[in-house]
Amino acid sequence: MNDQKRTPKDSSTGEEKKKINRRDFLQGAATAPVLGLFGYALYKQQSYEKAQKAALLNSKPVPSGLSDINVALLGVGAQGDVLLNAMLKIPGLKFRAVCDIWTDFNLKKAVNLLGKYKHTVNAYEDYREMLDKEKGLDAVVIATPDFWHAQHTIDCLKAGLHVYCEKEMSNTLEGARKMVQARNETGKLLQIGHQRRSHPKYIHCYEKVIQETKMLGRIATVSGQWNRAVQPDIGWPEKYAMPTDRLKKFGFQNMHQFRNWRWYKGLGGGPIVDLGSHQIDIYSWYLGSNPISVMASGGTDYYEPKTHEWYDTAMVVYEYDTPQGRARAFYQTQTTNSANGYFECFMGDQGTLVISEAGGRGSAYREKSAPAWDEWVQKGYISAPKVLETPAAGSVALDVRETVPADEHKIPVELYDPYHKPHLENFFNAVRGNEKLNCPAEIGYETAVAVLKVNEAIEAGRKLTFDPKEFIL
Amino acid sequence: MIDEKKYTKCQLNAIVLLRVLIGWHFLYEGIAKLMKSDWSAVGFLSQSKWIFSGLFKWIAANPTVLEIVNQMNIYGLILIGLGLIMGCFTRIASYAGILLILLYYFCNPPFAGLFYSIPMEGSYLIVNKNLVEAAGLLVVAATGTGKYLGLDRLISKWIKK
Ligand SMILES: NC(=O)c1ccc[n+]([C@@H]2O[C@H](COP(=O)([O-])OP(=O)(O)OC[C@H]3O[C@@H](n4cnc5c(N)ncnc54)[C@H](O)[C@@H]3O)[C@@H](O)[C@H]2O)c1
Repeated sequence: MNDQKRTPKDSSTGEEKKKINRRDFLQGAATAPVLGLFGYALYKQQSYEKAQKAALLNSKPVPSGLSDINVALLGVGAQGDVLLNAMLKIPGLKFRAVCDIWTDFNLKKAVNLLGKYKHTVNAYEDYREMLDKEKGLDAVVIATPDFWHAQHTIDCLKAGLHVYCEKEMSNTLEGARKMVQARNETGKLLQIGHQRRSHPKYIHCYEKVIQETKMLGRIATVSGQWNRAVQPDIGWPEKYAMPTDRLKKFGFQNMHQFRNWRWYKGLGGGPIVDLGSHQIDIYSWYLGSNPISVMASGGTDYYEPKTHEWYDTAMVVYEYDTPQGRARAFYQTQTTNSANGYFECFMGDQGTLVISEAGGRGSAYREKSAPAWDEWVQKGYISAPKVLETPAAGSVALDVRETVPADEHKIPVELYDPYHKPHLENFFNAVRGNEKLNCPAEIGYETAVAVLKVNEAIEAGRKLTFDPKEFIL
Repeated sequence: MIDEKKYTKCQLNAIVLLRVLIGWHFLYEGIAKLMKSDWSAVGFLSQSKWIFSGLFKWIAANPTVLEIVNQMNIYGLILIGLGLIMGCFTRIASYAGILLILLYYFCNPPFAGLFYSIPMEGSYLIVNKNLVEAAGLLVVAATGTGKYLGLDRLISKWIKK
């Protein structure tokens, strides 16, 4: 472009000026390559967005030529109904039989629902009769109260069925141990209903955030909670009340206990078992180890202790020896206030992961001093950061020594199906031999060991240690 | 006609750089909205504050008008962006760009005491990035660098012929 200097005279006036020459073309199109660059950048941006969308659509293709699985349901109360509704969305299932002792109410409801979907099923009050009469069953889904799980599961396994059993695996460790034994002896599958183990968001965070990238760094502390608003005791329509002698036959003193079994010793485990076990299961999964000790404070502080034998409030501290070193985990469940709902929070020296089964809740926060996460954003493991606002000056006294809040990266994976569907799908795919169980009996057992000791620790009023052998069968 | 003797090469190239960068920004703003099939100015317009808010809110409340405004905005951004990058009808593109930016600016002006529910990054008082970009376009318009580096060079010669 030196000629610009050489030809100042010609460029301003004269004939030369009007003719279009080579130089004009070059200068006229000089900025065109920018469009090429723009196109390339746009292409890159679009492939990134596409990758993010693909990660979002986590649904697996429905395999063709499914062989039907013959299914029975044992216990169709509140949770049995939830599971049934999820199963009705899974192809390749033939419902054959339903069993529940509340024949006039829950059993009828389930049979009617199945009828609407053109499944004709046999209804049973006694599960033994069902196992005797129903030949050709492949699998059973058990959602009876916790204290029935061991007996129901063991008998079903021995009858040759694969079993999906709701958590808590059992209300006693002895029961849980016998369930694992029966599984081993029969060689059948036993999946425990900790459904977060199959939740795409939880799997994504475990595989990408925890394992592959280790973006949180060294995790030294964990916290989590399930806070629930005050709830009245569960009632029943008076005209469907069951006679006391029949209730007693099945281990319940009266209708109130039959409906609110969770709160009673010997039947359930209270909120720490009911709610906490889901989340304490995640602690062990993500930390890659079982706890070594537990301290806990709890009690029935708010509700009537006669009908709430188990603690309505529990605050728990676990210690873990993880492959990375010592970690402490706090867990709280209470039933008098719902602030902040339920979540688990893993805190490493490079970042924080907040995750919840609740839709839309899942974010990673990078510590300001940590290495950049750009690569993980590019790969679609986490979303581009949303910068958290620093409080406006003046509204809060800001201290220069305070650390700047970490950027929030949303976890780009969500579940748009019913919560329990992926876990049930995993079970049925395992029955077909196409997948491994995400929560086999031994994992359910380890979680039961960790969780049931909380109630013991509250009673003992001191720190209890776990012998590593307790987790091994 | 730009007087290439009046400015040094360095000055001209700097203005071309400014022009191309602003063009890139316009082009991508337009294309990004085009690709987001559900994009609409409705959120932005209905937040409007200050003396013109009546007009902007009327647009937001009027589906047909809103649709026209949305389309004009998207294709306006794209055409202005292309014009600025390629140096094609540079002056027209610059003035159109200024007009568009001032519309954004006056829809939600960063004046003392006005707060918006759409979160804004950074801190602004009266002058915000919109206003700076508009001023940048004024420089581009005033110097007309399309005839230095850009299609305008060819266009003007054709016309003169
Ligand atoms: N995974 C989860 O998110 C989740 C959520 C809620 C409950 N659960 C679990 O599901 C199970 C059931 O809880 P729920 O809330 O549905 O309780 P529920 O009381 O509403 O239902 C229990 C049902 O089992 C029936 N039943 C009781 N004893 C029986 C027996 N011996 N034989 C046959 N049927 C019997 C009852 O009639 C009732 O219909 C529990 O183990 C609970 O921990 C899991």
